[in-house]
Amino acid sequence: MLNSKPETRNSSQREPNGKQIQNSKFKYFKPVVSSFKYLGLNIVSDFGFRISDFCRRLLFCLFLVAITTVPAFAQQVCDLGPSVQPRKLRSLEHFGALAVLNDGRVKPVDTYARTLLLQFSGKTSFDRKPAVEWLGRLLFAPQTTRDDKVFLINNPEIATGMGIEAEPHRRYSFSRLQPGLAKLDELAEMADKINEKERSVVEQEVLRVYRNLVVYDKHSRVFSFAFPSPEFDIASPEVVKALELPEGQKAFSFYDIASRADRLRELTGRLEKKKSADWPARDKELFQLANTLFHWSLDYSDLPFTVVPAGDSSEDWSSPMDAVNRGFSDPKIREEIARLRDMMVYYWNGEQLQFDLAVRSFGHSVLNRVDPARKKAVGKIPLELFYNKANLFLWAKLFYAMAFFIFLWSFFPGGARPVWRRAAFFSVVAGLVPHALALALRIIIMARPPVSNLYETFIFVSMITVIAGIIIELVNKRWVGNLVASVCGFVFLMIASKFAAEGDTLQMLVAVLNSNFWLGTHVLSITTGYSGVCVAGLIGHLYILQRIKYPGDKAALESTYHQLIGALGFGLMMTFLGTTLGGIWADQSWGRFWGWDPKENGALLIVLWCAIIFHAKVGRFVGPLGLAAGSVVGIIVVMWAWFGVNLLSVGLHSYGFTSGVATGLLVYVLAELAFLAICVPLALKIPLPRREG
Amino acid sequence: MNPFRKNLQRNPVIKFCASIRIAIACLALLFILTLWGTIDQVTNGLYLAQERFFYSFFFTFAGVIPFPGAQLVLWVFFINLVCVALTRLVYKWDQAGIIVIHFGLLLFFVAAFVTYHGTEESHITLREGEGTNVSQGYHDWELAVWTEADNAQNVVAWDTKGLRPNDRLAFPEYGLTATVGHYYPNAEAYGTGQPSPDVVSASGIQTVKETPLDKEPEKNLPGALLTVRTSGPQGKEREVSVLLYGGEEQPAKITSGEQTYFMQLRHKRSPLPFILRLKEFTAEWYPNTQVARSYKSLVGITPAGGSGSREVLISMNKPLRYKDFTVYQSSYAVDEFGRESSTLAVVRNAGRLLPYCASFITFGGLALHFLMMAFKTKLR
Repeated sequence: MLNSKPETRNSSQREPNGKQIQNSKFKYFKPVVSSFKYLGLNIVSDFGFRISDFCRRLLFCLFLVAITTVPAFAQQVCDLGPSVQPRKLRSLEHFGALAVLNDGRVKPVDTYARTLLLQFSGKTSFDRKPAVEWLGRLLFAPQTTRDDKVFLINNPEIATGMGIEAEPHRRYSFSRLQPGLAKLDELAEMADKINEKERSVVEQEVLRVYRNLVVYDKHSRVFSFAFPSPEFDIASPEVVKALELPEGQKAFSFYDIASRADRLRELTGRLEKKKSADWPARDKELFQLANTLFHWSLDYSDLPFTVVPAGDSSEDWSSPMDAVNRGFSDPKIREEIARLRDMMVYYWNGEQLQFDLAVRSFGHSVLNRVDPARKKAVGKIPLELFYNKANLFLWAKLFYAMAFFIFLWSFFPGGARPVWRRAAFFSVVAGLVPHALALALRIIIMARPPVSNLYETFIFVSMITVIAGIIIELVNKRWVGNLVASVCGFVFLMIASKFAAEGDTLQMLVAVLNSNFWLGTHVLSITTGYSGVCVAGLIGHLYILQRIKYPGDKAALESTYHQLIGALGFGLMMTFLGTTLGGIWADQSWGRFWGWDPKENGALLIVLWCAIIFHAKVGRFVGPLGLAAGSVVGIIVVMWAWFGVNLLSVGLHSYGFTSGVATGLLVYVLAELAFLAICVPLALKIPLPRREG
Repeated sequence: MNPFRKNLQRNPVIKFCASIRIAIACLALLFILTLWGTIDQVTNGLYLAQERFFYSFFFTFAGVIPFPGAQLVLWVFFINLVCVALTRLVYKWDQAGIIVIHFGLLLFFVAAFVTYHGTEESHITLREGEGTNVSQGYHDWELAVWTEADNAQNVVAWDTKGLRPNDRLAFPEYGLTATVGHYYPNAEAYGTGQPSPDVVSASGIQTVKETPLDKEPEKNLPGALLTVRTSGPQGKEREVSVLLYGGEEQPAKITSGEQTYFMQLRHKRSPLPFILRLKEFTAEWYPNTQVARSYKSLVGITPAGGSGSREVLISMNKPLRYKDFTVYQSSYAVDEFGRESSTLAVVRNAGRLLPYCASFITFGGLALHFLMMAFKTKLR
């Protein structure tokens, strides 16, 4: 059973007249006045604007308490002590299937939990348990997460700056970071003053860590409305009786008092006619309760975990606490909040069945209330849960890796037999199935083409290269297709997983990209073009290595050369199509076909590079080896166009998350140049076969 | 073979111009310019990079070393392509793809020329209920002159692009001539705020100093010192020094006899053949986020001289088209009183469809050639 200790009031400062003192941005817990329609405004009109002497004194005391309270993260949330632990629930599976509105879309709590944990720790699970279990603890029993090492701090300088010892595994618990939070406030404030583009890696990391801690703290307060708090303790049994609360109980929660708000208003409404000095003790306590209720509604507003459809517009959803403020007069919302409170109680009591029933009851109520667009999104939650659970890209990577290892096996005696080639081929096809399924699921869930951010373009390009590899293998039957498919499929999915670490990859589209037609034509064709040039580049590597290792195998060299030309031609054709379609989209959106924007220029560079190679071939300035080397450089050009230009952070297309990518790109370019510098001269030294190409 | 074509092929100049070496050199130079011009945008911004690398015939780097700009390269490339079409392309069915590609590219060059010289970009900013038939340039300025009687409705204006010292600007309608003392495309103004006996200005500035162009051209504020010759009392001519600055909201006032003239440096304005009235602006956001989902402007459009008006909803990716004008949703702003205003980009582009045609023709050629090559390889 719940046995809460006092919650320290947060650090929000008030002037004696009750107005908010704007805390500095980085003196965390800056309360935001919400549209407190049901309780707040009425109470303000009853008390706030006709404030009595007592009221002034009371608020002054509150002000003193507030300013003497240690600011920022020193606030304790439901610190029940180490001896009080919730009884364990078997599973939070049903809870994970609830709908939450986050980042503009309705998603399952399971995705929300994964994204949150990923944002904090870079992982989607904690202690080998699903993220939703950790989120459950953070929401329902936040004090049990204080020692969880979930805060990833990549740079040890930050720990030093906070005055704490750096952890070897770079992950810290909240309790470990707590002594340095005041210092972190200062560091974050300094970093925030610096122009975003001029911030160092450490400054960026300071802000990331700071924001994560704020988000963590806000989540830990989401269910505060249901916890008994000493601020709502009622000493007088007379008041308990007057409010029709359970007799014999002294400790109450915000929810308990808010649910008696009508009665409270009725009882306190009479007070304005009397002088405060004449108020009896009962009325003073009632007034204090009303006052605390009002302050709570301000201090605990704008919290995350928006699961209750309630707000200013039909599309808005609120956190449970905000829902109390905004829509408690609606019986359905009141009922939903009661179910949320039940969830917390059952969670603590370890009552699995009752917990699941409360979850289902809440879920059904929400589904019956939401607008049609959101209802459709809620209907897709099972698909997204399957997508999360199945981990389809992991399976795809495993099969592609297996195909590559079979290819390596082919170098051993007996490994080159057709049976192994077929095995590699089937492994690639087996990888393509979950890969394509995952993409299809993403299309269905988001109802748009799967190419709106860098992560999605990588998984799409990966799939196109795999399909290209399969076609090459079906036509050619010489391992080349298997190699292309397995290497490109695996490598691009690995790069994509790097981008996935930034958060939820199923993102809503910004206004200018919000066009399925143009996403489906321009972006798909240009990324298909990237795929073609990358496949050509990989075959180019292979051709150069073949020239060194098997210079006499004319048939194999010719075959590889033809595939190289085909892939490069395909890449040129699709990149050209994508570029010009992008021009037409730009003309439709911005009024000009071409504006020399970095992203447009990047695409043009690919077209120009392919055109240079082909014209050099036609003019006989380069032979097959030169063409192969040129196609290797083509990959560098593609990488530049694909995400290199995003590093410049200029232009209309500077979307995508590219932090930390620059080093990887530089290393890749150097490696490719080293490959060409070593292998091309080596291949040139070896006598050419008489006829090729 | 056609004897005319044979003669052309023998012509050494055309033979040289049709060389594949020139084509490769042009492609390589374009590659370098595109890459360079992209990276340069980080330090100098898009506008200056465009002017330097893509719209110039030559530019210098490291102070003195000349380098061909994209305009020159594209002209050479165009000539090369014409010569190739005349002399080198083999007009046979099996070369159909290559022929179509090259003719598509030729059309691209024509499209680029037409759009480069025939596009005018400007914008309109309106609050709900407001209307206008004049659009304003983004970074082009004009020197506008009007009289008190005109009340800024009838204005004579000179484009200030490329103004040099000693240029003479005549305003015969008003019997004025202005001689440019100096004109700076971007300047800072200094003064006491008090009127000066030596120079006429709107806001008491006494001097303007040239500053480097900003990487965001919208931030450039020009400054000019002009000597204006007016006919004074009893028909005597007199000269007045006028100092103008782009940051001034009020025009400079010049009095000559009983006539009062106003003179101002302002963003270039263009009349439109229609009146556009903003009826309603809507900005939609994804719920619980600061991410914009859409911006929409409901406008009424009335043709000039016409009486009928129709409503059009302009939104992202859905512009309004009127003859060769296109009006796009560009941005919006909220002022300190919470009033929303919508900014609509107005583009006049006579050759708007040319790049579309060129794109599809060239892609058609590429696809045809690719498929023919794939088919041939398969047959082999």
